[in-house]
Amino acid sequence: MATNSPPSIDHSRPPLYRDVTVVKWVVQIAALALTLGALWFLADQAGDNLRASNVPTDYDFLSVNPGIDLSSGIDTDPDTGGRALWVGMVNTLRMAVAGIFVATILGVIVGLARLSNNWLLQKIGTVFVETLRNVPLLVQILFYGAVFASLDRVTKDVGPINGWLHLSNKGLSLPRVHIADGFYQWLIVMCIGIFIANEFRKRRIRQQDATGEESYPLLSAFAVLTFVAAVGWFIHPIFGFVGEIFGALSSFVSGIPQTVLQIAIGVLCVGSSALWIRSFLNSRRTPAGLARLTDDDYFRMIFAAVGGILGAIFFLILWPGLSSWMINSLSDLFNVLSNKFGDGRTGRPIDVDLPNIVQTGKFPNYGPSGLNFSIGFAAVFFGVVFYTAAFIAEIVRGGILAVPKGQSEAAAALGLKRATALRRVIIPQAARVMLPPLGNQYLNLTKNTSLAIAVGYSDIVQVGQTVYNQTGKTLPVVSIWMLFYLSCSLSISVIVNFFNVRMRIVER
Amino acid sequence: MSIDDATTAVSEKLAGREDMIVCVDVDKFYGDFQALKRVTATIKEGEVAVVCGPSGSGKSTWIRCINRLEVHQGGDIVVDGIELTNDLRNIERIRSEVGMVFQQFNLFPHLTVLDNITLAPIWVRKKPRAEAESMARALLERVGIPEQAEKFPGQLSGGQQQRVAIARSLAMEPRVMLFDEPTSALDPEMIKEVLDVMKELALSGMTMMVVTHEMGFAREVADRIMFMEGGEIVEVGTPEHFFTNPTEDRTKLFLSQIL
Amino acid sequence: MENRDAILTIPDENGSLPPKAPNLSIGQWFRKNLFSTWVNGILTVLGTAAALLMLRGVLNFVFSENRQWDAVRTNARALMTLTYPESQYVRVWVAFGSVVVLAGLSAGIWADWGRLPARRLAGWFMGAAGFLAVCILVREPSVLMDLEGKTIRLPDGSLVRESFASAMTDRANWWAVVALLLIVGGVIWRSDSDKKQLKITQVTYLGIGLGVLSLWVAPYGHYAFTDGTYIADPNSTVAFSTKMPWTVMWIMLAIGFFAGRWLRTSSYLVLAKAGSNLLWLISPVTLYFVILRDPALDYSHVFSTDLPMGLAFGILGACFLWFLTRSDIGEIGRILATAMLGIAIFNWVAAFFGWYPMLQKARISFLLLAVAALLAPNFVGEAAKRRQLLLGWLGTMALVHYLATMINTPSTVELQSTEFLGGLGLTLFVAVFVVLLSFPLGVLLALGRTSKFPIFRILSTSYIEVIRGVPLISVLIFFSVMVPLFLPDGMELAELGAVLTGYTLFSAAYLAENVRGGLQSVTKGQYEAADAIGLTSAQRTGFIVLPQALRVSIPQLVGQVIATFKETSLLAIIGLFDFLRVANSVIPAQSEFMGVKREGILLVAVIYFFFNFVISKYSQRLERRVGLGER
Repeated sequence: MATNSPPSIDHSRPPLYRDVTVVKWVVQIAALALTLGALWFLADQAGDNLRASNVPTDYDFLSVNPGIDLSSGIDTDPDTGGRALWVGMVNTLRMAVAGIFVATILGVIVGLARLSNNWLLQKIGTVFVETLRNVPLLVQILFYGAVFASLDRVTKDVGPINGWLHLSNKGLSLPRVHIADGFYQWLIVMCIGIFIANEFRKRRIRQQDATGEESYPLLSAFAVLTFVAAVGWFIHPIFGFVGEIFGALSSFVSGIPQTVLQIAIGVLCVGSSALWIRSFLNSRRTPAGLARLTDDDYFRMIFAAVGGILGAIFFLILWPGLSSWMINSLSDLFNVLSNKFGDGRTGRPIDVDLPNIVQTGKFPNYGPSGLNFSIGFAAVFFGVVFYTAAFIAEIVRGGILAVPKGQSEAAAALGLKRATALRRVIIPQAARVMLPPLGNQYLNLTKNTSLAIAVGYSDIVQVGQTVYNQTGKTLPVVSIWMLFYLSCSLSISVIVNFFNVRMRIVER
Repeated sequence: MSIDDATTAVSEKLAGREDMIVCVDVDKFYGDFQALKRVTATIKEGEVAVVCGPSGSGKSTWIRCINRLEVHQGGDIVVDGIELTNDLRNIERIRSEVGMVFQQFNLFPHLTVLDNITLAPIWVRKKPRAEAESMARALLERVGIPEQAEKFPGQLSGGQQQRVAIARSLAMEPRVMLFDEPTSALDPEMIKEVLDVMKELALSGMTMMVVTHEMGFAREVADRIMFMEGGEIVEVGTPEHFFTNPTEDRTKLFLSQIL
Repeated sequence: MENRDAILTIPDENGSLPPKAPNLSIGQWFRKNLFSTWVNGILTVLGTAAALLMLRGVLNFVFSENRQWDAVRTNARALMTLTYPESQYVRVWVAFGSVVVLAGLSAGIWADWGRLPARRLAGWFMGAAGFLAVCILVREPSVLMDLEGKTIRLPDGSLVRESFASAMTDRANWWAVVALLLIVGGVIWRSDSDKKQLKITQVTYLGIGLGVLSLWVAPYGHYAFTDGTYIADPNSTVAFSTKMPWTVMWIMLAIGFFAGRWLRTSSYLVLAKAGSNLLWLISPVTLYFVILRDPALDYSHVFSTDLPMGLAFGILGACFLWFLTRSDIGEIGRILATAMLGIAIFNWVAAFFGWYPMLQKARISFLLLAVAALLAPNFVGEAAKRRQLLLGWLGTMALVHYLATMINTPSTVELQSTEFLGGLGLTLFVAVFVVLLSFPLGVLLALGRTSKFPIFRILSTSYIEVIRGVPLISVLIFFSVMVPLFLPDGMELAELGAVLTGYTLFSAAYLAENVRGGLQSVTKGQYEAADAIGLTSAQRTGFIVLPQALRVSIPQLVGQVIATFKETSLLAIIGLFDFLRVANSVIPAQSEFMGVKREGILLVAVIYFFFNFVISKYSQRLERRVGLGER
């Protein structure tokens, strides 16, 4: 070798304050300690102040009658605080889902209009986008609310299509499509139908691959599903026995001893962290044995172990209520499900009620049979839809413009028709660009529904505010808000990520 | 000439010089992949060592370990008598003694050429600005582009950018220069202007460690050529030995592919 | 998207067509852009109908006989500044004037907006005339009034309207405006035989001038908001009371602009740029806390406490820093700096536990001194560099102690509301301060999230993601309710302060994500090069990484500024009197304008739109010029 005599090297450890690893981890742990300390201090302070002002921070209000009326929702006179918040959550989700659906359609239309080669459509699209996205959402909501509030008073024959569609200063009333008593049995039929239709689609695709003839897999699968749905409309009562299965499950779950579940959770915590450490070590293992681990690696393992143990301690000792809560709610869920089946449920799965107008006291009002949208709902709905649609339009436009011109030229050179080129070449690529920002907009829309508080639509924030004004328990309510919105964000990002990953695989 | 003779020849030429870079049993892992396997070598003061080998052979990793852009996980690296350990002060000292030139130039695009060169002398070496600037202009003169001082890197050609990068490293008055494939990202007509600068540098007595595929440069300038494959130094020798009479089969295969 | 080159090429399906292609006749242009296929033709017809209907709806809404625009005119001052006393109103004008002069100065130093073909300007005039004519035609005929000024209704309840012909003659003055616009446009077009280019700055300035001039001619309604009572006084109009100040502002804008232009050619350019940046930075605090608030300085206290304290910190700190930048300081410097940081943090801990009293500005000064001491090793060496650090320190101390003194001194302005400012003033105040305060915090969070230190990364990431997962309104409610609970005994924070804190923390999370995008665009090679030439990590971040990252993220940062400004409207929900609240709650509660909401909200919408539209257009220009934003 080149160096016959490696020079003797004086190995001296550097002093601690100059050692890179030591400095790096001391700084980090100090920052962690400082952050946790500050949080602990603030929490402690808040606790002291709350005790001093006699406002306990427990969650009792969830099971106490709050004595509030909600302006709209599945239950306008909830009998517990928890139920009230639940109604608020449903309202928020209802608004968010409807808003996302309509805003996407509107946004895509406007975005395509901005790209069309029709000058007038382009300009209309531009005016739409520039106006709506530059005016704050809250201003828009208040404005729509003020406009709707100035509509005509509700009368016996308010119109515009009496008995079908009512529009007045009480809001909008439409025919209501709702699930009736056979729905859950029918749902099982539909699940089977979806399975059959999917198999049918796969077969059709195989057939097309083999013969080369167009076999319309999606269309025919849809036809199969429709057929099954129609048949299920009449034969669904045969699934009445499912209720007994759920009943059995319910009693089984409620029979699980609390300690068993508690220990299971603890074991799950420790076990998952142990598994993680093992797989981590394996990933670092060379054929020759263990690789040298860096300081980061050691700390990762330490944190994983500490996290697992802390989690186990937390669930085992500090929060035993969790397991009983899980058992109870799971058993309740199965119980509720079991009641949805059998017992002579032979009616239609889905029903339609027409709106009506009733006069209980001095003034006429919308009756409960129609699908009633209050002024607040309409204001928030139009607000979030228009506002988000303006942003979605920009995303759609940007996404399509992001596909290089060469792609459509290449498709044309291959002789693809324009529609085929759009479907097979342009849109898959544009979708990949559009998806992450679209997910962001859906998230924003969901969060923006919280502005309903300004027009009195009973979303979770508005209900929560009413609840804490009555009970003084601000902190618990705020914590419920945060949990709710965080889980919404998480679900939306999971869904978007799922499609994102699929897109990427499709693209390869 | 056997490998020992070749080593002897190199040793004679550089006899009495001080060790500049000493690597003993250097190991480096990426996860479970071992990029460097007990790499041992000594580079003397004023020596020009060329490291070559197929891509993925660990040569860039090795050179990047020497000024701790990568952290080696086993063995020792000593540069000019300073051991490269976790000691912050040693790292600082080694980095200001070792200049490095990258494949992708890595000039700072938001600073002018002059600012690129004077940044480190002013803020690391604590030189007065006037002195740093006059030195920078002298260096630009030396690499042959004195008129480009006020321009931004984006306005220069690749060869000019690489020469600015060399000037930027030289401005720190390093004792060692490391070159990590300095001509790989260049168009063929620009390679020569960079190699000329490097030759001039070698002749001026700078200790240099060069990872490159430019065999002409190696034959002409190198005191020693090291061939790496699979994270190991396979063969070491003078250019003469290396090109005319390689001993290892792997070296022969590599040379037959590249020449 | 104005792609001029596309005129020459066949526009693809994606490219937008320029409206006026010079090589096409009008007929060709119509066929090509509106009726190229029969589908297109149908769309055009439908689109025209829809657009005209929308326009008619908007016009009917705005000019309806039911609209009470008096509500807005009368409350103009309430919308702008709420209860700021009339006797002190000159302060508002001075503050506004300072901003105007500063804007003119900066425009003079930097702006190079290029030129505008005179024919395009003429085209705008004629286009405006055409649009106005369409508006006049589309607007429904007015409702007829009887002698008492009441509307007449037919038996079926519908209103009686005048005939179309008489409506058109009633709008004669509007037709006159149309004619005037057409004439002006025509004159410009005809006189422009040599294809003149007008400077955009001049055109803009003249445009503003025309707006100001119109105040002298047209009395835009009346106002009175004096001493807390709302009086609709027809003799006192908004225009008459504000035309003079506006004219002065207009002239000052020009003076500022020419001063800037002069500085641009003078040798003080670098100094002027730095100076104007500094002025922009300190103007929000100065204008708000010093000029608008008019602090009642207690001079005995100033000379006995404030001034000596500032001097002590300045001088002793300077000596300390001078010592730390000695070239032979070595490790001792770092140890002393860390010790100083320890003292500074201990001061805050002591504050929370109430161990010993200390003025807040002393704590801040200690913290700043620690930061300066940590930075000191970078300035070791020649005397000039050491002086730089010292001057920077003295300047910071002067500023901090000046502002702290001013902010701590009670105001002499007598107010009727709890909050010092209201209306648009409050909105702008919150927007400006949130942007200023959240910027450093956001950059720190972004650095933390991209750091190679895992704990920093985890802390920043979880903070950012949690904040981004919840709506602003819940954060604001949380802070306005909870902050008083978090504070230890004896410490207080005004509601506005709590809201500002919450909003800043919220905004910082979003800003961090924008900066992170920029940070990710800085290549690994830049970090390695900075390491290889021996820069410390602070130097690497400050000199190499952040300048590049921030430049890349300018468009997103501007977007964030717009979003922040828009979301200031949420102040109205949590009980602060911003101008949306005034429009939505205060005006409809006045006995004269009971329930009149829509007019005020529409005005608020227009003001928000104006600000946001201008900012976003400017940022697009900037983006196009820098060549950013191309993916």
